[in-house]
Amino acid sequence: MTGGTDRADPLDARHAEFIQGPVSVIIASRNAELVADAVRGCGCRVSRDRRQVTVLVEAGRAVTLLEDVATNGMIAAVFSQPSTHQTIQLKGSDARVVRVTAADRVAVRQHLRAWSGDLERIGFDVRFAAALHGGTGELAAIRFTPAAAFQQTPGPAAGQPLKP
Amino acid sequence: MPLSIPTLRRCFEGAIPATIATCSQDGTPNVSYISEVHYVDRQHVALSFQFFSKTRPNVLENPRATVVVIHPDTGAQYKLAVRYLRTEDSGPLFECMKAKLAGLASHAGMTGVFKLRGSDVYRVESVTEVHGTPLAAPPPPEVDVTTLRACMARLSAAGDLASLLDALLDVLADPIGIEHAMVLMHDPAADRLYTVASRGYAQSGVGAEVRPGEGIIGAAAQARIPIRISHATSEFGYGRAMREAAERRGITGLEHEIPFPGLPESQSQIAVPILAGDRLLGVLFAESAAPGRFGYDEEDGFMVLASHVGAVAALLEEEPAAPARDEAHAGRAVAAPQGAPLRVRRYAENDSVFVDEEYLIKGVAGAILWRLLRAHAEDGRSDHTNRELRLDPSIRLPDLSENLEARLILLARRLEERCPSLRIEKTGRGRFRFHVLRPVTLAEIPR
Repeated sequence: MTGGTDRADPLDARHAEFIQGPVSVIIASRNAELVADAVRGCGCRVSRDRRQVTVLVEAGRAVTLLEDVATNGMIAAVFSQPSTHQTIQLKGSDARVVRVTAADRVAVRQHLRAWSGDLERIGFDVRFAAALHGGTGELAAIRFTPAAAFQQTPGPAAGQPLKP
Repeated sequence: MPLSIPTLRRCFEGAIPATIATCSQDGTPNVSYISEVHYVDRQHVALSFQFFSKTRPNVLENPRATVVVIHPDTGAQYKLAVRYLRTEDSGPLFECMKAKLAGLASHAGMTGVFKLRGSDVYRVESVTEVHGTPLAAPPPPEVDVTTLRACMARLSAAGDLASLLDALLDVLADPIGIEHAMVLMHDPAADRLYTVASRGYAQSGVGAEVRPGEGIIGAAAQARIPIRISHATSEFGYGRAMREAAERRGITGLEHEIPFPGLPESQSQIAVPILAGDRLLGVLFAESAAPGRFGYDEEDGFMVLASHVGAVAALLEEEPAAPARDEAHAGRAVAAPQGAPLRVRRYAENDSVFVDEEYLIKGVAGAILWRLLRAHAEDGRSDHTNRELRLDPSIRLPDLSENLEARLILLARRLEERCPSLRIEKTGRGRFRFHVLRPVTLAEIPR
């Protein structure tokens, strides 16, 4: 991987807050044939030292993705706020499936509320947001160390390494 | 219904951005948002290529990818396993996607940021629904095959081009429920489109012109494809595009332009070509103040109606040679002109005709009017045939395939709106009578 922030740097506080806010979460991995798969996440938590990111998905939606992550640890996660289009992408190579905690479940419920609110501001119905969000079934958690971070807000800077 | 690309077309309206997951040759995955997924055919979609993000190099070195689309009504998600084939940066697909993207950009507040660099064509290898709890699906589209069949029967019954175009606008209004629509005919020699019929506007705009490439109508004519916009956009707003193009050309002296009709609060627009074989006859345009009014299903319906109109219009062009029927008309006395004289001036330079200082018409329709006025003044003649006009060198019809009938419709409607003292009355197929209800003085301004 090239072009991202230095592996030693954790996320800064602002980006950590952003990815735990009312953002759409899309998670991708790939299989042994280098075919990528993507799944909509339903929440995100950042560790206290901001070196570890845990993304939450509804397990039933992510069977292939969870297998791929368990096999090769490769991950890309995009966080985008629907009302502003502000978007960042994190990448890691040490992703693993971890046990879901009570705090994760709380984070998923909070995420649904905040994210639905953002969608409502741009004209989407909360019922629609809930159907799209998922997270009511069994959850799975994927933890990784962000090794690279990219700006992905639409525009000429899309794809550039994230600047603190 | 089994999952297939056609059943997912609602997901491709751009209401909710799709995502694409790709992987580089070194095994690093990437996810990007895609503004526009476009339905190409049962096996292919095209994705908008807007930014040089990681997706680009990834698909060039590893063409297999996954696209996730969302149904805008139910929230259901679908995964498309795709393979990148090629990028088109010009041509019909590109033009169609460019127009649609302009509307989406406007809606997203991204005008000037969303710019189409290319249409990336992918083959879809499989479609699967993502496990979830979607909402109930909305009712099926209003325009079904039965409705369309009834509409086509009404179009087939038309006896001439004018009633065919009227029937088209009538069926759009009822049963289809589209209240603002117009038909423009193509003038290949002057390379422009002129409005011959409209519905739902305060001013009919008959005679208003659009050049190929200008706005959504011009784009549909140039690329000969249907073009839809779901949200108002300054970029493709035909009104502004036309006005600006007119300013660039520099309207001077005789180049009078009839104002284009249009909804000031237009949000949704659709323009589809009317073709007869590979010949562009014109463009059917409709608009609505409601955003997202015209979807893929409406586009299909418009294309079916427009292609039927093209075929019927082509059949109607084959006029019988100078029919000798309608003796009743020929024998009927023409009323003598009465009242104050109309002052009619004609500028030879572009055949523009002014009545009492008011601009009326120009071009081929202007030349026809001048000929009819002279025949009336010099020989007292009122009855004419299309054939005689076709053979007249003074009218300068560019070629035999030129649609004379459309020019006569344009002239008749302009007279009806602007100069009711002169009137064209159809008296049979390929025949008409020119009524002059007031005395006329003619003045010709040479080049």
